[in-house]
Amino acid sequence: MLKAEHICKNYNGTAVLKDVSLTVPDGAFVVILGASGSGKSTLLSVLSGLETPDSGTVDYNGQCVSAMNERERTAFRKREVGFIFQQYYLLSHLSVENNVRLGADLAGNRDYRAVIEAVGLGNKLRHKPSQLSGGEQQRTCIARALAKNAGLLFLDEPTGALDEQTGREVLDYIAKLQAARGFGLIMVTHNGNIADMAETVVSMNSGRIVDVRHNATRKSAYQIGW
Amino acid sequence: MVVGLRDGLKRIGISVVCLCAVFVCTFMLNYYLDVAAVGAPSDVELYPLYTAQRMTARFTAAISGGVLGAIAIGMLLFYVKLFVDEHAAQLGALVAIGYSGGKLAARFWVFGACVAVGCALGFAGGWIAMPFVYEDMAIEGMRVTPTFHVELLFALVLAPAVALSALACLFAFLTLRRPVMQLLKGRPERIKTGGEVRKPSRGFLREMCLQTLKSRKSLAFFVAFACFCFAAMVQMGASMGELSPGMMATMILTIGVILAAVTMQLTGKALLKANAKNIAVMKAFGYSLPQCALGVLGGYVPFALLGFGVGTVYQFGLLKLMVNVIFADVGNIPTYRFDVPIFFITLAAFVVCFASVMAFYCFKISKISIRRIMTE
Repeated sequence: MLKAEHICKNYNGTAVLKDVSLTVPDGAFVVILGASGSGKSTLLSVLSGLETPDSGTVDYNGQCVSAMNERERTAFRKREVGFIFQQYYLLSHLSVENNVRLGADLAGNRDYRAVIEAVGLGNKLRHKPSQLSGGEQQRTCIARALAKNAGLLFLDEPTGALDEQTGREVLDYIAKLQAARGFGLIMVTHNGNIADMAETVVSMNSGRIVDVRHNATRKSAYQIGW
Repeated sequence: MVVGLRDGLKRIGISVVCLCAVFVCTFMLNYYLDVAAVGAPSDVELYPLYTAQRMTARFTAAISGGVLGAIAIGMLLFYVKLFVDEHAAQLGALVAIGYSGGKLAARFWVFGACVAVGCALGFAGGWIAMPFVYEDMAIEGMRVTPTFHVELLFALVLAPAVALSALACLFAFLTLRRPVMQLLKGRPERIKTGGEVRKPSRGFLREMCLQTLKSRKSLAFFVAFACFCFAAMVQMGASMGELSPGMMATMILTIGVILAAVTMQLTGKALLKANAKNIAVMKAFGYSLPQCALGVLGGYVPFALLGFGVGTVYQFGLLKLMVNVIFADVGNIPTYRFDVPIFFITLAAFVVCFASVMAFYCFKISKISIRRIMTE
């Protein structure tokens, strides 16, 4: 379980997160909704151990992430979390296979080809990112995160750079793989429709959580609006 | 416009290499001309030394001017290519709206500005050092005083600045000669086809090392050159004490350290800039700082060792040549042998410096964050 309590974060004197508290059970699919500047990406950075809060605590299965030093947080991220970014951030000079191995090698996962097959890129192992479409690049990014066998995946606007059709495909992949593997998902987005896919929807505004709702039924990527 | 004078002046690496080349050439060629003007000594015993000193001046100017000049040209071409690659989208947009490749390439004359600055400073520095060099190379009974030769100012400052500016424009023109869509969207990469795709035996970090090296091959040359300079000039400066004491040895040693430091800085900065996003992602996923540094810089270590080895052999060969050929007929010249203690001291200093460079870049890597990359 990931538990954040009373998180505050400032940048250059501006309060970006103001007393944010949030609990994410293991294997849950949580969407953090908010407009640009609402603090959702900062919250994701703090929850994932990329950054430390100015005050408050972040605890993941008994490990106090917020109290860790840089080296300990690096080890924590290595063990526990994976990332999927809006801009992919694939290593441009490496093939699909080697990009996925960036995550796989950290977990000692020798079966990473199965993950590449699972995201439908088995026939593009040697392709470089520039030779892939946006959707394929994002699927490589997903495979990289999944190959790490992380218990918790952080997604920052994963469909932000994709068209509707490709966006739906990518979300469908993610949701199916999450259901099959049981990892936790925390997704930041400004697309309110995606929230219908999650169990829990956290709405943010001006650095605060303004609403938390739980969906009784989850929709698939092809049932939501866009 | 995309290319401004500041872009040209920022290429400090080229300036430093030009400075070192012109610095040495200025006092050596000036000495050569001044000694020639004085004429050969009437004393037959002094004649071999007179000839040897003239040959030394010409030989040293040719070696340092030739090698460093070639390196400066290499750096210039590297910087022009790097600039075009980094600004391909902006340059492509200008071509798309109607600017010709030639017109854009002409703006690259500014890259010659750093050559002009380096050469001018080197020329001035050469004149400052000249009295000390003349004293070091003095021939008994001959009075040689520094005289200004305008042809040297032209050959060592004006001509290189103009020639390298023209070269920068020409190379930029050739580099920009690609379809506008390639400039805007990047060069399409060839997809490897055929053959069974086997599981690679190398780990990710080794693959990262190799692919980073492949993607920036030219930097391997600069790493090797930096280590070559360090090995050759530090050992030469330290071990030529009996052959040429004082100023000359100190200058050679200092130039070697400066060239090595500047070239390593150029290489490290270019590599880190090109790999900032990759490093940020690796860090986010949990790779440690040494692992990130290894992934980006590790592939260049063999080239560093190669440069050190070649530099060691080169300085030994050069000094041996000086003693056995150029000064062969001059009396009282000590026998030159490979200086083993100096070699090990230089090797130890090299290891310490290289480790410090790696530590410095680890520190630089620690400052790269995924958040900063995301907000760029």
